[in-house]
Amino acid sequence: MKGGFEVVHGALDLIQPHEQWEYNSIGLQGASSSNFPKPMVVENRSNLERNELSEWVEHVTKQLIEDLPETVGEGLKTEEVTTVGGSFAPVLQWGNEAAGNQSNNLSTGDIDGGLSRLDEHGLGLITLLLECAVAISVDNLGEAHRMLLELTQMASPYGASCAERVVSYFAKAMASRVINSWLGLCSPLISHKAVHSSLQIFNNISPFIKFAHFTSNQSILEAFHRRDMVHIIDLDIMQGLQWPALFHILATRIEGPPHIRMTGMGSSIELLTQTGKQLSSFARRLGLSFEFHPVAKKFGEINDITSLQIRSGETLAVHWLQHSLYDATGPDWKTIRLLEQLAPRVITLVEQEISHGGSFLDRFVGSLHYYSTIFDSLGASFPSDDPGRHRVEHCLLYREINNILAIGGPARSGEDKFRQWRSEMAARNCFIQVPMSGNAMAQAQLILNMFPPAHGYSLVQGEGTLRLGWKDTGLYSASAWTSQAYR
Amino acid sequence: MDRTLFTPKGTYFFHHPTQQSNGTQPDMQSSNNQPQTSHTSTSRSSDSGEPCVTGKWASSLLKECARAISDKDSSRIHHLLWMLNELASPYGDCDQKLASYFLQALFCKATESGHRCYKTLSTVAEKSHSFDSARKLILKFQEVSPWTTFGHVASNGAILEALEGETKLHIIDISNTLCTQWPTLLEALATRNDETPRLKLTVVVTASLVRSVMKEIGQRMEKFARLMGVPFEFQVISGVNHLGELTKEGLGIRDDEAVAVNCIGALRRVEVEERRRVIQTLQSLGPRVVTVVEEEADFSSSRNDFVKCFEECLRFYTLYFEMLEESFVPTSNERLMLERECSRSIVRVLACDDIEDDTGEDCERREKGIQWSERLKEAFSPLGFSEDVVDDVKALLKRYRSGWALVPPQQGEDHQLGIYLTWKDEPVVWASAWKP
Repeated sequence: MKGGFEVVHGALDLIQPHEQWEYNSIGLQGASSSNFPKPMVVENRSNLERNELSEWVEHVTKQLIEDLPETVGEGLKTEEVTTVGGSFAPVLQWGNEAAGNQSNNLSTGDIDGGLSRLDEHGLGLITLLLECAVAISVDNLGEAHRMLLELTQMASPYGASCAERVVSYFAKAMASRVINSWLGLCSPLISHKAVHSSLQIFNNISPFIKFAHFTSNQSILEAFHRRDMVHIIDLDIMQGLQWPALFHILATRIEGPPHIRMTGMGSSIELLTQTGKQLSSFARRLGLSFEFHPVAKKFGEINDITSLQIRSGETLAVHWLQHSLYDATGPDWKTIRLLEQLAPRVITLVEQEISHGGSFLDRFVGSLHYYSTIFDSLGASFPSDDPGRHRVEHCLLYREINNILAIGGPARSGEDKFRQWRSEMAARNCFIQVPMSGNAMAQAQLILNMFPPAHGYSLVQGEGTLRLGWKDTGLYSASAWTSQAYR
Repeated sequence: MDRTLFTPKGTYFFHHPTQQSNGTQPDMQSSNNQPQTSHTSTSRSSDSGEPCVTGKWASSLLKECARAISDKDSSRIHHLLWMLNELASPYGDCDQKLASYFLQALFCKATESGHRCYKTLSTVAEKSHSFDSARKLILKFQEVSPWTTFGHVASNGAILEALEGETKLHIIDISNTLCTQWPTLLEALATRNDETPRLKLTVVVTASLVRSVMKEIGQRMEKFARLMGVPFEFQVISGVNHLGELTKEGLGIRDDEAVAVNCIGALRRVEVEERRRVIQTLQSLGPRVVTVVEEEADFSSSRNDFVKCFEECLRFYTLYFEMLEESFVPTSNERLMLERECSRSIVRVLACDDIEDDTGEDCERREKGIQWSERLKEAFSPLGFSEDVVDDVKALLKRYRSGWALVPPQQGEDHQLGIYLTWKDEPVVWASAWKP
C-alpha cells in the first residue's frame, strides 16, 4: 500500500480548463439572485425511491415527538450518583417509573403498505429503540437500561436487514451513554489509527469521501488560479488522502505550479509528522516546491494566530471536512472567529447533513434518519457478511453514532455546537458564499460513476452547494466561501 | 503492559448536579497507584496520546477494575469503568468483546443489579430462541470446532462399551445438547453384528432455553431411530428444579434396563452446596456407566474471592473467545449467539450472589476435572477410556483446524481420570467415565 494515497486518474483527465472563479455575482445567503444557477437535481435513475427504512423512521418519530409530554421535567426521578466514599448506592431504579410509561404508545398500525419489505423483526426492534430513546430523554435510566439489555440481545450487526444492524449500533451507543451517565464521565477515548484504517475502507466502498475531496479540491484550484504562493490549512488532515490529487493538478497547471505550503492540523504530532512525510515525498516526486507544517492543536483553541505562520503575499485556503468521529476543532464560536481573522481566499467546507446541536432526542431522531440512510446505501452494494462493510459500520459509523448520542453531544464537551455551519457562515457579513462551479459538479458526477449502484446516490446542486446523498436524503454538503476582504 | 499511553482528553461532567468539580486531572501513569480523591476535572488538555489498543489491553484493564472493586476504591473504579466503556464493543475484536461483556458484569456488580440483569438477559434469549435457530447454532458450532463433539464421541464410546451385550438400554441424558450426541450412537447400535438392542432415551432438561424446542427434537429422534431400525422410546423430563429430585420412578427406569447416565455440562449448573447430593442421587439410579463432560475452569473454589474468581473467569473466556474468533468468520451470527451465551454466564458468575432461587437459576460455576473427580470418587470408581475410544477422539480432532489436541489418560496414579481436549495447549474440556 502506497501510504494509502490514491490519485483518481479518470477524474483528472476530463477536467476542463477551470472556469474563471467568480464570486461577485452571487447574492448573500444563496437566496434568490437571478444570477444563480437553477437548482439541478441529477438523477441517474428515473424514479428515485425513498429510502424505506428512513421513511418509516421519520413517520414514527414524528408521532413520537407529538406524543411526548409537554413539560418533560415534571415528576421524574433523576438518578443520583455517589462518587465519593466506599459504598455503592444501587443507582439504577428498576421497575415501572411513572414517567417512562407515558409515551410508549407508538402505533405501527398506519404504516404505509409500501414498507412491506421491512420485516416484522426489524420494525419491532426500531419501535423498542425509540421507546428507549424516550426513556433516556426523560432521564428514566433504569427503564432504558432494561430495554437496552433486551435490544442488545435481540439485534445483530451482522443481520440481513439494515434496520437490525442500525438498531444494534444505536442500542449499544445508548447503553454506553447510560453507563457514562451513571459514571458521570463522558469524554471520549479514540484510537486514531483504527479510525484512519476504517476511513480508507470507507473511501473505497462509498463515494462520500471522494466527493468531499474532489469538489473541495476543485474550489481550491479555482481560488488558486494564477496564484504563485499558496497555503492550505487542513483543519483535520488525518492521513492527507485528499491532497495528492490536488498536487497533481497543481503540478501540471498551465501557468506552472505554485509554491505550496500546507498546514496540517490534528491531535497527535506523531501522526501529523507521518502524514507530512508522505505528502512531502509525493510532492517531491511531482517536482513541486512544498512545505509542510504540523500543528497538533484544535483550530478553535489557537489563541496565537502567528502559530499558523501566515505569510504575506500567499493565497490562503482553509479546508474542513466535518465528521462526528471526534471533536476536531474545539469551540465553534472560536473557530469561526479565527476564520474571520484569517480572511482566507477560500474556505472549503464539507458538512454532514446532521445537526450536532440540540437535545438528546433531537440528535437521536436526526441521526437515526441519517445513519439508516448510510446503512441502506452500504446494504445495497454489499452482502450482509462482507467484512469491509462490517469494518466501516462498526469502526466508523458506530463511532459517530456513539458520539452523537453521548452526553454532551458529539464534541463530548457540552459546548454549544452550531446546528449548521453554512447557515452560520452565511449569517456573517465577513463571509461570502462562492457557488460550487460546473467543474465541481462534473467532478462529483465522475466520482458517482465509479460506484455501483450509482442509481441509488443522488447529487443535488442548490443554493450554491453540492449535496450528495442516498435516494431522497442528503448526506454530505460541499460549499465554498470567501472573505469580504477579497471583494 | 504499558499503561502510560492512556491519556484521556480531560473529563467533563454534565447532568449530575451532585458532582463536584476541582482541578485534579485523573492520572493513568502506572507509577501512580494512589487513589484519586475525586475523579472530576474541568481541565481541557488536548489529547496527545493514542490509547494503546494494540496487544492485550483488555485483560489488564479488566483485572485492575476488578481489584479496584474489591478494594472499594470508588474513584478508580469509575475511571476504569469509563475507559472500558469507551474502548469496549461486543462487535469488535477479541479484546473489545471481552471488555464489553466483562464490563457489563462489573457494572452490574457495582450497581447491585446482577440478578435482574441476568433474568432479563435469560428471558430475552429464551424468547428469541426457536428450534431452527438453536439447531442451526449447535450444528454450526460442531462443524467448526470440536468443543462439544469431543465429549460426545468420548461419552458414546464409553457408553457403548459399558453396555455391550445388553438388550434393553436406557440412557438418561442430562444435557442441553439438543440430542446432537445420539444419532451417531444410534447408528452404532444399528450396525452392531448382534441383535439391535432397544434404546430408551430420557432427556432431562435443565435450561429453560431448551425445553421449548424439545418436542420437535423428540419427533426427529424417533424418526431417525425408525430409519436406523432401532427400537426407540423417547421422553423429556422438564420442570425439575433440582437434579437431586430425580428418582428411578420419576425417570421411568425399569429393573431390566441397563442404565447409562450422560452428564454434559450438567453438573456445573447445580448449586455448589448441592453437588454432593446430586452425585449421590445419580448413584441411586443404579447406572452401569456415568459419563461426565465439563469445561475446564474453576469458578467454584474462589467464589468468595472476587478478584481470584474474576481472573479465572477472564482466563477461561479469553481462551473461549479467541477460539471462537479463529473458528468462525468475522461476521458470524452463530458466533455472536455463543458469545452472548457467555455474557449471561459471566454476569451470573461475577455479579450474582449464590442464593437459592425458586426458579432454579443455572449456577454456571464450573469446576476442573480434578475437582469433579474428587466428588465423583465418593460415589463411583473411575472407568478408563479404552484405546479404541481414544483413537476415535483422535480421528475426530483430525477433522478440524489445527490447534486442537487430546491429552490422553495419564499413566500412574491419576490413571483413568478422564481425557482433556486442549486448544493451543490449554486444556479446555474434560471428559470422563465412571462405574459403580
